[in-house]
Amino acid sequence: MSHLSTALSVAFLLAAFASPARAAVNVVTTTEGLAAVVREVGGDDVKVIALSRGVQDPHFVDANPSLAVKLRNADLLVDVGMDLEIGWLPPLVTQSRNAAIQPGGARRLTAGNFVSPMDLPTGPVDRSQGDIHPSGNPHFLTDPRRAVQVAAAIAGRLAEIDPGNAAHYRERLQAFQGKVAAAGKGWKERLAPFAGRSVITQHKTLTYLLDWSGLKAAGYMEPKQGVAPPPSHVASLVAVAKAAGVKGVLVENYYDRRPADQLRDLAGVKVIVIPGDVGGTKEASDWVSYVDVLVKALGQAVQ
Amino acid sequence: MVNIALLSLLVAQAAPPDLGSQADPFPTGSMNVGAPGGIPIGKLMLMPEIAVVVDGALGYTTLSTDQQELIAGPLPQHKAWPMLQEVELAFQATVDPYIRGDVFLTFSPQGVEVEEAYLKTLSLPWSLQIKAGQIYSPFGRTSQLHRHQWTFVDQPVSMQRLVGAEGLSGPGGDLSWLAPLPWFAEVHLDYQATRPGFDETVQQLTGVARLIQYFDLSDSATLGVGLSWALFQAEAPEQWKNLAGADLYFKFRDPTSRSSVVLQGELYGRQLSEQAFSEARWGGYGQAVWRIDRNWEVGGRYDNAPAPVAFGGGTQETWTALGTYYTSEFFRLRVQPSLVLLPEGQTGFQGLASFEFTIGAHAAHPF
Repeated sequence: MSHLSTALSVAFLLAAFASPARAAVNVVTTTEGLAAVVREVGGDDVKVIALSRGVQDPHFVDANPSLAVKLRNADLLVDVGMDLEIGWLPPLVTQSRNAAIQPGGARRLTAGNFVSPMDLPTGPVDRSQGDIHPSGNPHFLTDPRRAVQVAAAIAGRLAEIDPGNAAHYRERLQAFQGKVAAAGKGWKERLAPFAGRSVITQHKTLTYLLDWSGLKAAGYMEPKQGVAPPPSHVASLVAVAKAAGVKGVLVENYYDRRPADQLRDLAGVKVIVIPGDVGGTKEASDWVSYVDVLVKALGQAVQ
Repeated sequence: MVNIALLSLLVAQAAPPDLGSQADPFPTGSMNVGAPGGIPIGKLMLMPEIAVVVDGALGYTTLSTDQQELIAGPLPQHKAWPMLQEVELAFQATVDPYIRGDVFLTFSPQGVEVEEAYLKTLSLPWSLQIKAGQIYSPFGRTSQLHRHQWTFVDQPVSMQRLVGAEGLSGPGGDLSWLAPLPWFAEVHLDYQATRPGFDETVQQLTGVARLIQYFDLSDSATLGVGLSWALFQAEAPEQWKNLAGADLYFKFRDPTSRSSVVLQGELYGRQLSEQAFSEARWGGYGQAVWRIDRNWEVGGRYDNAPAPVAFGGGTQETWTALGTYYTSEFFRLRVQPSLVLLPEGQTGFQGLASFEFTIGAHAAHPF
């Protein structure tokens, strides 16, 4: 009898150790913006790491081998795509030894594949056009419509990877959609009086948000994508700003703001420094607060 | 028989449902997507990524041929000498879901060479990876780099004289393991037929081991530490026998900025077949490079190498400065003056002005 009770005790202990607490899904994203969307739909069921910081220009992240270590154990890699990370992500993915996150792998989700792109090149596609993105503008996550599409794709993939929590992902997606709809209503109301007005931006980072809000970009500080503004281009923007009634220039905080300051001095426009992504400033701590900061900045820029 | 039965079942399941007389003779939706015969440009997507990198320079030196012995690309004395150093043609693609392939051909005044042509596995278990083909040996840091990845216009003389004119390379295979640690720690074991030194006709069977680790000290600072060892099968007294290397790398880059500072150094020790270990020759270099902004970079390098053969011993010290201007990621201009201190109080000056451009696929940013 004592043997039986000992065996039962051992079996009970083994069973207890054999069914540990369910592990969260390890998600690695290339940007803080994508990490924020994963947190919205993944909640406590995921553990998220972003490879770049919100204060960082996502085009120019170092291919630091330490990042390959983070990719090694990823259950899911979410990248932006459209060549945004072409200068640093491919060698890290190869180095990671994680077969499932290779391009086309079951644990790789390229967010750009789930949205319709803007700024598709219509003329020549070569580097005389600057740092061109042949597949379209990759800065789509500032657009509430496309952010929701990306969230739905992520929730769907998480449900496939972690079917036991599929209902949680679905519920959180619905909650995020509701949150975006409510915030979006307020943002639209805030910007509606200024519909049709124009701003100047440093890079084409706000194209999608401007399209959603009904505002326009009269010009860009960069004469071509990724090319620093020379004085001649700044001078040419003076006439552009005056003709379009531009009152503000928006510059991400990882860019050199001096050319924008020159335009301010020449054309009397305001210079508004904005975060480049979630985490780019203390206020932009999640996706909604990040877009809220951008909408406030746009509101300032058009009046 | 079981297989045939299983296949029949799968075929039956995959067959479209019988729609009977209700079937739409002019189907819409997904049945009408795409052009007849497929998308003509779709085949282009199967092309490998192709890039061409061109390196040209203008060189001047006060050193004689003897004083430049055992470095790659010696210059005529007291002449401003134009050079097309190298044209690299790169083809890169995934072969199938399990393997990728990379081919780098170089065209130079010395002829056409397969610089590297290798397969790399993508899905081996236990964090293993195999790289096989014509490859650079996983020895040291700078000796594994292609010309367009060099920060300076030339390689340190210590590396050229102690490792090989253009590093250590040859046909063979490299098995590497990414250790399951919180930091990056990779172990390489490699077996190759290499051509160490400057005699292109001599091939030696070579085993190489390397441990490379990177530690993130903060979001801005990374430290890399590497140890390498190469063991050669020597069949003549003057052939390579043992080669040891240690390398240190420190990079500081504020994530909000394109500016960075990189400190790097390597130490090499080489023992020939005829030498006792105490007679091994040592050398190395240390360099500091400051990327000021998106356009400008400056640097300096101190190099300590065995003197040219003509001196019969002693060391050569080389002090080099570097100024680089980038118009974009795809073009750079470099100016590189060097002061050379040889045994017997001999000194010399060397100057290089170089251009480099890349067309085609976007390469990874160097780290």
